[in-house]
Amino acid sequence: MTHSSRAATFVADADRTTWHDETLWFVRQKRDKAVYAVPEFQDLRELASQIKEHTLSRLDEYLQQFEAKAQRNGVHVHWAADAQEHNAIVLDIIRRHNATRVVKSKSMLTEECHLNPHLIGHGIEVIDTDLGERIIQLREEAPSHLVLPAIHLKKEDVGATFHLHLGTEKGNHDPQQLTEAARQHLRAKFLAAEVAISGVNFAVAETGGVVICTNEGNADLGVNLAQVHIASMGIEKLIPRLSDLGVFTRLLARSATGQPVTTYTSHYTKPAEGREMHIVIVDNGRTQQLGRPDFRASLKCIRCGACMNTCPVYRRSGGHSYDFTVPGPIGAILSPNIDLKKHSSLPFASTLCGSCTDVCPVKIDIHVQLYKWRQVLTEAGEIPAAKKWSLKFMGRFLASPKAFGIGGKVARTGLRLLPYQLTHAKAFNAWAVARELPEPPKQSFREWYARTVE
Amino acid sequence: MSSSRERILAAAQANKPAETPLPTVPDFGGDASVERFTEVLGSIGGRVVWVANPQQLGPVLRQLFPDAQRTASPLLAATVPVNEQTPTDVLADVDLAVLPGEIGVAENGAIWLPEVNMLHRALPTVTQHLVLVLDHRRIVATMHQAYAQLPSTGGYGAFVAGPSKTADIEQSLVIGAHGARSLVVLLY
Repeated sequence: MTHSSRAATFVADADRTTWHDETLWFVRQKRDKAVYAVPEFQDLRELASQIKEHTLSRLDEYLQQFEAKAQRNGVHVHWAADAQEHNAIVLDIIRRHNATRVVKSKSMLTEECHLNPHLIGHGIEVIDTDLGERIIQLREEAPSHLVLPAIHLKKEDVGATFHLHLGTEKGNHDPQQLTEAARQHLRAKFLAAEVAISGVNFAVAETGGVVICTNEGNADLGVNLAQVHIASMGIEKLIPRLSDLGVFTRLLARSATGQPVTTYTSHYTKPAEGREMHIVIVDNGRTQQLGRPDFRASLKCIRCGACMNTCPVYRRSGGHSYDFTVPGPIGAILSPNIDLKKHSSLPFASTLCGSCTDVCPVKIDIHVQLYKWRQVLTEAGEIPAAKKWSLKFMGRFLASPKAFGIGGKVARTGLRLLPYQLTHAKAFNAWAVARELPEPPKQSFREWYARTVE
Repeated sequence: MSSSRERILAAAQANKPAETPLPTVPDFGGDASVERFTEVLGSIGGRVVWVANPQQLGPVLRQLFPDAQRTASPLLAATVPVNEQTPTDVLADVDLAVLPGEIGVAENGAIWLPEVNMLHRALPTVTQHLVLVLDHRRIVATMHQAYAQLPSTGGYGAFVAGPSKTADIEQSLVIGAHGARSLVVLLY
C-alpha cells in the first residue's frame, strides 16, 4: 500500500477531509499568533537548532554524562539497542515488582516500539492516560498526529466510543461531559496503578533529569502516585544544560498548539523517598540516522507537530495514510531510515512547498530532505516503474525545445478537438479526477513573443 | 544490557558529525510586569487574586472556595495533614491544595513549584483545585530568567501554567482533564 492509496480512503469522505484540513489550519494559525508575539522567536529557533546540532556532535559524551548524573541521583539507567530490547526491559521491571496495573502517559517512542501489545500479551493492563491516546486505545487505532492523537475523530465518534466502553449516555457527544467521564474513568486507574510509564520531552545531561510536558497533568498524576516510574527516551532527546530548557520550553508549545507553554513542564530528577525511577535509553535506528549526513538533522526534532499542521498533503490525507508512528513531513523523512522499501512512497507525499521547514522550531530542512530521499529511493530502485519511465520521458521531452514546441502545439489543438470524455478520462489523466483542465491558449508564449517583441 | 550500551555509544561516536559550538543563550529581556502575568494567566484559564496579608489567607479562600471541605496546605490551618508518606486514598479526597509558588513567568503565566513546596509530589495534580501563593516581586519576564534563578530543579519540580486542560475531543478546549480543575494565584 502506498501513501496515495491509503489517502484515497480518507479523502473519499469529502466533508470530513475538509473539516480535518480546516481544523489543522486553525491550529497553524494559533501557532502563528503565538509566534509573532515573541519578538526573538527567530533567534530562539536558531539557538535551538545550534544547541541540538552541538548535542548530536558530542552525543556519545552527553549520553555518558547524563547516565552518570542520573545514576548519582539514584535512577536506574537501561540501554536498549532496539524496540524488542526496550520492551523486554520494561516488562522485566514491571515483573520484578509483581505489578499488573500500569498507566502510561504520552510517548511516541513506546508507540514506535509497540510496547502496549507486548505488555498486554504478557498479562499486564496498560492504560494510556492522555485523553486522545485513551480514545484511540479504546478504538484500537494508532495515533494520527504527534500531539493531537485523535484529531482524525469527530466528537460523535468519541461519544460512540465512550458509550460502548465507559457507559456514557448514547448520543451524548458534548466534549465537556465526555472529558468528565474520561476523568472519572482514568482517575480510578491512576489511583490503582503500580507502575507509571512516561515518555521524555527533554533529557538534561547536566542534571541527569528528564522533563515531561503535558496539558492534562496525566504524567505527573501517574508518576507521582505509582511506586515505580519508567521513562523511555530516544537518544536524541538530550540537551546539554538546564538553561537550554529556557529556549526549548519557549518554542515547544507555541509551535505545537499556539499556547505560550504547556500547563505542566515537569522536571523528574530523583525518585521520591522509597520509590523507584528507571530511564530506558533507546537507539532503534537513531545512530544509523546519525551516520547519514543528509538526514541526521531529522534527529533535532522535538515532536511539536508544526510541520504536519501546516502541510497541505497531511491536512488533506490524514495521519493514518502515512502508516508510520510519526506521520506528516517529519515522519516522511524519519521512516525511510527505518524501512526504505515499506515507506518508499512517503517522501513523495509532499508538494515540496517548504512550509514545514519554515515553521520547524529547530530548523530542520524537512523539504530538502524529502527531495534527497526521493533521489535515494530512485537509485535504490524503490519507485514504481510508471513513475520512473514517465519522469525519464518528461525529462527528455522538456530538455528538447523542438519536441516541446511540437508537443505544445499538439496539446493545444488536441484539447480543443478531442471529446471531453477522452481528455478527462480518469485512466489517463489523474489531474482531471477532481479538477478541470484549463482552457487551451490559442498560441504558445514563444509564438506570442516572436510576434509581439521581435 | 551492557553490550547494548557499548554498541550505542560506539555507534554514536563513530557516526556523529564534526563538533559544532554550543551557543550562549542571551537574556532577551522582556516584560516582567504583574499586568502581563495576570493577563497571560487569565488567557490560559487561571486567575490572579490579590491578597493584602499572606499570613491571613483563610477569609479569601473561604470566599473563593466556599464548598471546599478537605484542604491541604503548609500555609494555613488545613483539614487534611499531608506529607511524603500520605497514602493515595487520602490524597484522592483533597478538594483544595494551597501551596507556595516560587517564581512567576510573565510571558506564559507559569509558576515554579518545587517538590519542597508540595507536601506530596502528587498533591498539585490529584487535588480538585489548586491555589498557588506568590510574591509579586518574584515575577520574571521569560523562561530564560526563570531558569537563571533556579539553583537546581531538586528531585522533582514543575512549572504549572493554569488548570489541567485538554482539547483532544475535536479541538474543543475543556478545563479540568486529569489534574486540578482550577488554578488561582494569590499574589501579595
